[in-house]
Amino acid sequence: MTTLITGADGYLGRRIAAALRGEDLVLAVRCADQAELDRKRARLADVADAPVVPVDLRDADPFAQVDPRRITRIVHAAAVIRFDVSRDTAERVNVAGTARVREFAHRCDRLDRLMLLSTLYSAGRRRGQVGETRHDDIGFVNHYEWSKWAAEECLLDRPELPVSVVRLPTLIAEDAAGDVAQYNAFHHTMRLYYSGLLTLLPGDPATPLSLASAAFTVDAVTALLAAPTGIYQVCPGPVTLGAAIDTAFAVFEQDPGFRRRMLPRPVPCDPASFRDLAQAAQRLRGGPLQPALASVTPFAEQLYLPKHFTTDRLRAAWPGYRTQDAAALVAAACTDLIERSFRVPTA
Amino acid sequence: MDGLYIGSFAHALGARRRHLRESAAAGLLQSAPEDLEAAGFRWHHVCEPGGTAYELAHAAVAEIAAGGGLTDIDAIVYATCLPGETGAGPVRDVKDLMDFPAGRLQAEFGLSRAIVVGLHQQACTGAIGALRLAGALLTTEPAWRRVLCVTADRFPEGAWYEQAYNLISDGAAACVVGRDPDVCRLLTVHQITNGGLGRAGDDETVGTYFAYTHRLVREAAARAGLTPADLDWVVTQNTHEKAWQILARLLDVDHARIWAPTLADVGHVISADAFVNLSALLGSGQARPGQRIALPMAGFGLNWQCAVLEVAR
Ligand SMILES: NC(=O)c1ccc[n+]([C@@H]2O[C@H](COP(=O)([O-])OP(=O)(O)OC[C@H]3O[C@@H](n4cnc5c(N)ncnc54)[C@H](OP(=O)(O)O)[C@@H]3O)[C@@H](O)[C@H]2O)c1
Repeated sequence: MTTLITGADGYLGRRIAAALRGEDLVLAVRCADQAELDRKRARLADVADAPVVPVDLRDADPFAQVDPRRITRIVHAAAVIRFDVSRDTAERVNVAGTARVREFAHRCDRLDRLMLLSTLYSAGRRRGQVGETRHDDIGFVNHYEWSKWAAEECLLDRPELPVSVVRLPTLIAEDAAGDVAQYNAFHHTMRLYYSGLLTLLPGDPATPLSLASAAFTVDAVTALLAAPTGIYQVCPGPVTLGAAIDTAFAVFEQDPGFRRRMLPRPVPCDPASFRDLAQAAQRLRGGPLQPALASVTPFAEQLYLPKHFTTDRLRAAWPGYRTQDAAALVAAACTDLIERSFRVPTA
Repeated sequence: MDGLYIGSFAHALGARRRHLRESAAAGLLQSAPEDLEAAGFRWHHVCEPGGTAYELAHAAVAEIAAGGGLTDIDAIVYATCLPGETGAGPVRDVKDLMDFPAGRLQAEFGLSRAIVVGLHQQACTGAIGALRLAGALLTTEPAWRRVLCVTADRFPEGAWYEQAYNLISDGAAACVVGRDPDVCRLLTVHQITNGGLGRAGDDETVGTYFAYTHRLVREAAARAGLTPADLDWVVTQNTHEKAWQILARLLDVDHARIWAPTLADVGHVISADAFVNLSALLGSGQARPGQRIALPMAGFGLNWQCAVLEVAR
C-alpha cells in the first residue's frame, strides 16, 4: 500500500505524512527549481523516509515522475488556501489541479482511496443545517470556497473513483496545548484586536465557528482513510463567534501590557460597515491594518451566515471521535499568540 | 446641567485657503493626496507665516463681541492642543515658557471680572471639555452668569498638516455658556479617557475610534435620558466620510442626520470643526426648536467627548 500525498510540505500535508510514518509514502511538493526541491526534501527528511517528487498542479502532466502502478491511496492536500486568492489562481491550482489529480487517479489501477481535503466552507452562502452531502452552487463569499466546492464536484462527479471528500474545520493550533504554527484569518483577527487596530466585529456573535487543532484534524484524516468512501464533515464541536471573542479577551486581559492599554471589546457590525472599513483601510498608508484586514475581509461575510454542520457519518466512521472544547482551544491559542507572537511596547 | 444654555457661536480659520494637492506638493502631508480626497477632504486653511493661534482665538472672540455676546463674562476657558511653543536654546527664566492666551483675551476685550482656565490635555476634544468646565463652574459659582469657551490651534511652520489620516486646518472656535436662554440648551457633556493609549499611533487611533465613539454617543445620549436613535442630529468632526457611515449604522442613526457639511472646505480644525459644522447646521435653518444634537469628538490622549444640546430657538 503506497500513499501519495500532494502538498506534502504544507501545514497539513507534513503532519499527515508524519502520522503515516512507517508506511510506504510518496511526497509530492510544488517547487520552482532543483534548489527549492532540495530544500523541501531536506525539510521533509525528518518527517518521513520517503521519496519527495516535484508536482506542480499547474503543469499539463504534473505526475510525470510518479509511477501510477504503485499508488493505492492519494491524499490530495495541495491547494492555495488564502481567502483572498484570485479567481484565476483558485481555478488553476484548486480546480484544474484537482482535475489533474483525478486524471492521474484514473491511471492508478490499484487505487483504493482518493481523499480530497476540502473545507466546511465549501457550503458557501448556505445557512442552517449543512449535511454531509453534495452541495449545489448557491454562491460563495470568496474564490477559495468556490474552488474547494468545484474541486469536490470534480471528484464526486466520478462514481467510478473511490473518492472521500473530507471537509475540514479552521485550524488554529497544533493541539490542545495551543501552539500556533500556521497563521490564518483567525490569528490575524486576534492580532488586530490585541493591538487595538480593530474594534469592529464582523459577524453575528451567535454564528457557530468550527475551530480545531491540527492533531484532531490529522487524527480524523488518518481514521477516514480506512473508512468507507463519501463525504465527511470534520467538525469538532462549535463555539459561537461571541464566545470565542469573549474567551480571547479574557486571555488578553490577563496580560499586563494589554490591560494597561485598556482596549475595548469589539462592537458587532453589519456586513456593509465592515466592507466600508476594509475599503477605507486600503488607503491607510502602509500600516499593519491593511494587510491583516486583507486576510480577514474575504472571509468576514461567512460570519453572518450561521451554519450547523452535521457529523453523523464522521462519528459513525471514526470511533475515536470526541467533541473538542473549542473555547479552551481558543484560550490556549491566544495564550500562545501573546507569549510568542504579539509584542506591543507597554510604555 | 440644568438651566444652562449655549450660544454666540463663532469661528476663525487660517487666512490662506489651500487645496490639499498644493500642500502635498509642498511636502506637508503624509498620505497620498488621492487617499485624502477619497476620504472626502479637499481644502484646508493655514495661517500666513507668523500668524498665531492666539490671533485666531482673538478673531473668533471678536466676532462674538461684535454681536454683543461678550457681556457678563465671569470666566474664560481656553482649550488648545499645542500650549505654546518653547523657544530654541536653554531657558534661564522659566516664565519665558509660560503663555497666557486666555489672560490676553481678558485684557484685550476688557473682561475684567473674568477668571481664566487653561485646558490642554484633551487634544481635539478640548472644546467639549471647555463646555463641561463651563457647566461645572456655573454650577459651583451661583453668582456667575456666563463663561466664554475658546479653542484655538495653529500648527507650527513645517509641520505636517495631517493627523491620523485627517487633513488639518489652523483655526479657532468660541461660544458662550450661560444661564440665560440662548440658541441651545446644554443638556450634558460626557467624556472617556484611555491614557493607556496616550501614545497610540495613527492606526490604533483609527482602530479604536469605532468602539469608543459608539460607546461615547450611547453613554452621552443616556446621560440626557435618550438613546442614539432619539438624536435629531449628530454633528461630527470632519473626518473620513466612511467613518460616520459606519457609525450611523452601529448607532442606528439615520445617516441623513449626520451633519458634517464642511468636510471638503475646512477639513479637521483640531477642536473647532464640530463647532464650524454646528454653526452651519444652525445657520441652515434645518434645526428646529426641541431637536436634540450630539456633538461627539475624538482626540489623542486618547480622549472622546460628546455634548448633547437641545435647540431652544
Ligand atoms: N489549514 C486549515 O485551516 C484548513 C482548513 C480547511 C481546509 N484546509 C485544506 O487542507 C489542505 C491543506 O491545507 P494546509 O493548511 O496544509 O495548506 P498549506 O500549508 O498552504 O499547504 C498547501 C500545500 O499546497 C501546495 N501547493 C500550492 N500550490 C501548488 C501547486 N500549484 N502545485 C502543487 N502544490 C501546490 C503548497 O506548496 P507551496 O506552499 O510551496 O506553494 C503547500 O505545500 C488544503 O486543501 C486546504 O484547502 C485547510
